[in-house]
Amino acid sequence: MPVNDKNTPAKLTGQCVSIAYGQHRIVEDLDLIVPERRFTALIGPNGSGKSTVLRTFAGLMAKADGTILLDGHSIDTLSTKEMAKRVGVLLQGPVAPEGLTVRDLVQQGRYPHRSLFGRWSEQDQDACEEALMLTGMTTLADTALDSLSGGQRQRAWIAMTLAQQGEVLLLDEPTTYLDLAHQIELMNLITVLVHKHGKTVVAVLHDINQAARYAEHVVILKGGKITAAGPPDEVISAEAIADVFGVKSVIIRDPVAGTPLCVPL
Amino acid sequence: MSRSKGMPAARPSGSLSMTGRSRLLALLLVLCLLVAISMWAVTLGTVRIPLRSVGNAIFGFDGSREHLLVMTIRLPRVLAALLAGSALAVSGAIMQAVTNNPLASPGLLGINAGAAFTVVLVMTLFGTGTSDIYLWYAFFGAGCAAIVVYGLGSFGLAGQSTVGLVLAGAIVATFLTALTSAVLIFDQSTLDTVRFWTAGSVAGRTMAQAAAVAPYILIGLAAALLLGRHLVTLSLGADAARSLGQNPLAWRAIAVVLIILLAGSAVALAGPIGFVGLVVPHIARLTIGVDYRWIIPFSALGGALLVVGADTVGRMLFTSQNFPVGVIIALIGAPFFLWLARNKAGGAT
Amino acid sequence: MTRLLTVLIFLLIGLILASLAFGDIPLSWRELFETITGSPEANLQNVMIVFDLRLPRVLLALLVGAALATAGTIALAVMRNPLAEPGVLGINSGAAAAVMVVIVLLQDPPAALLPAAGFLGAVAMTAAVYLLSWRGGTSSLRIILIGIGLSSLAGAATTLLSTFGEIGDVQRAMIWLAGSVYDANILKVRLLFFWLIIPMALAWMSSRELDLIRFGDNSARSLGQRVDLVRGVMILLCTLISGAAVAAAGLVGFVGLVAPHIASRLVGPSHARIFPVAALTGASLVASADLVGRVIIAPAQLPAGIVTGLIGAPFFAYLLWGRRHARE
Repeated sequence: MPVNDKNTPAKLTGQCVSIAYGQHRIVEDLDLIVPERRFTALIGPNGSGKSTVLRTFAGLMAKADGTILLDGHSIDTLSTKEMAKRVGVLLQGPVAPEGLTVRDLVQQGRYPHRSLFGRWSEQDQDACEEALMLTGMTTLADTALDSLSGGQRQRAWIAMTLAQQGEVLLLDEPTTYLDLAHQIELMNLITVLVHKHGKTVVAVLHDINQAARYAEHVVILKGGKITAAGPPDEVISAEAIADVFGVKSVIIRDPVAGTPLCVPL
Repeated sequence: MSRSKGMPAARPSGSLSMTGRSRLLALLLVLCLLVAISMWAVTLGTVRIPLRSVGNAIFGFDGSREHLLVMTIRLPRVLAALLAGSALAVSGAIMQAVTNNPLASPGLLGINAGAAFTVVLVMTLFGTGTSDIYLWYAFFGAGCAAIVVYGLGSFGLAGQSTVGLVLAGAIVATFLTALTSAVLIFDQSTLDTVRFWTAGSVAGRTMAQAAAVAPYILIGLAAALLLGRHLVTLSLGADAARSLGQNPLAWRAIAVVLIILLAGSAVALAGPIGFVGLVVPHIARLTIGVDYRWIIPFSALGGALLVVGADTVGRMLFTSQNFPVGVIIALIGAPFFLWLARNKAGGAT
Repeated sequence: MTRLLTVLIFLLIGLILASLAFGDIPLSWRELFETITGSPEANLQNVMIVFDLRLPRVLLALLVGAALATAGTIALAVMRNPLAEPGVLGINSGAAAAVMVVIVLLQDPPAALLPAAGFLGAVAMTAAVYLLSWRGGTSSLRIILIGIGLSSLAGAATTLLSTFGEIGDVQRAMIWLAGSVYDANILKVRLLFFWLIIPMALAWMSSRELDLIRFGDNSARSLGQRVDLVRGVMILLCTLISGAAVAAAGLVGFVGLVAPHIASRLVGPSHARIFPVAALTGASLVASADLVGRVIIAPAQLPAGIVTGLIGAPFFAYLLWGRRHARE
């Protein structure tokens, strides 16, 4: 699949990646390119393998075949800890032990940066405070996670991933549980992270219009295969939506952002 | 503790695809095996009795020595094994559904500890009597312990979460076991008698004993089969169950009543054969999937098969009629269970 | 936290003094004080009772309690199951089977053989559980299930031996298995202390690993933890610690399950705090159990393992009950 944005080098590259659960192959010969310092959205119908792809690129699932390169080096050569220093992952429905406060959770994000008996450093503290601030969780930092709403809990987990300070963030449906305001806030946060902090973000999103509006690079998955990849303007078309989701629609211009807006018929 | 910290009972990856038809087939297979082994078990013994005579003995009893042997020794023993096995396995399945914890077994409700304690207490205080009496004391003890556990777990400890129930069970069982040990350490003669009972055995059970608990077990089994659907809902956890319109507290109480009926009777009849209740539901889940509507019938048949089979093997290999069935159950069931656990449970990722 | 630790330490000191004073021959506080300080007025018999009999016993109880609680804390975190205690790994069933074999099958085994058998049984069983559950990695669920399966096999052996063994032997095994610190001596205390100090220190130092592994394999791995390695090492520590406790005192149940629960309710989810509080709680539990077992039906003695069940269980229930109502 071509990257249209020719000027940006690839941060994460998958070459001929196959992923299997036991004998059952979910993804076959996938070539995926994630451009550096860009927001890439992964969209596709339920069961198209989005989460599986994300987990595999995070090194959490063994692949059956192929290579995944981070900055041109295979991720297989990286230790779990080095990987975690560079790539932060937020999976769906994470569970925390009971009684934890938001701060306790966010501090776990510093795990890969600390040696076995290393002390808690100023740098660790700063990273946590920054993560809390960016997600707007500073005032809730000492609240128990159990007593938060679903959306607040989700933001706490995002803060933990931010505290990791990786160059790459992989987020699996980060907007689930969030209300509209917080969804927009999160999308803006991702934009800030990409443009101001130079992060590379990949997010599985369900809302095509959200992907079109905020992402610079959209990858459409169907049945474990990439059917289209590129800037939203080129990728999101009525034909693509009909093909992938089986939904008839018209594509109009978003009156605010000018990005493609999919309106189902 | 609102979101259960216990792990989901099991997430077998390969078995979810099992279709209704292959499940039915598996169920039928177990049923056929069960019938075959039960019939064979009745013919087997110091005197071999042909199957036809067994039929005659049941339907046209003529008082001959052979018929007497069938009706007073062989048949009651097989029936006791069938009843105890199915009851323990189903109560185990219910227990695991209620707590959503793979470590749960009827023993966790204090059933075994309660039964053992009352039996030991009665033996120590009133001397060793006939086993008819133990049966009711064991049932009584099991029931009381389970009620205390339920009460503590639901209204006292940690609110209505299943963790409360689980911890309450561990507390009560520990307490009763400690009391039992305290008595046994000082009373050698009771230890001598009770150790056969604790090992679990269906030897020497009479028709009257089997008939005494049969109604409870049959009612319990029928109810469990009918209520399977509700158990699925219950296993989603209290919050989800409530949102689906189920009153989790009431249903948990119903489940506890069923467990008392089933496991209480089984333990009274055959002693604390805890392993059946723990392992058979797991085997069912690992082979047939996570749907309790299937797990319950499969557990009923599988539990009966395990106990009857183990008892028959024991009679075949060891002519001493008193070889405890509990030991053979573990010897047969554990390797199979280990194989399943190794191959099907929880992947490396 | 500091206040809590102070309270626990004072409680412990009180327990030690009480354990030294009470017994078949009760000492007055004054006599005890004279004996401990080595005052010339102390009588020789009291010196012997306190230093040769009671002190090793209370010290052994403290060590065993702290060890069981530490091992329990590890098991709870690694298994992520509120019912997990070292017994889940097969430690108790392995030790019980080995001790039963030695007592029933050998004629008059030397007393020193029992702890060795208990320890080896526990270690062999845990190793078997871990190895059998390894398939290019482990999972908590698989360890739990394999533990159930293997424990039931060992349990079958124990049951068989206890059903057909000579009744005197069976009772002897039962008393050993019930868990007691009857035959404590200063040598045993020293041995256990030096055995425990390294694994327990290591466990405490790896608090942060335990904090993380409770999040589940996926979350922990995505944060860079080598989950299988950590789990393996922690299970090894858990086995070394609780195996030694079992060897020294038999199966003192319940402490490993309860002490970590009590500690995490008192100080929250961080293991760096849970470990010391759990260890002190466990030590107090076993020491007080032994004290009660010694005096409650004197001159006969109840093994500490039975008393932890009889007193520990209702106390734990009360604690949980109290917490719930305090919150409302």
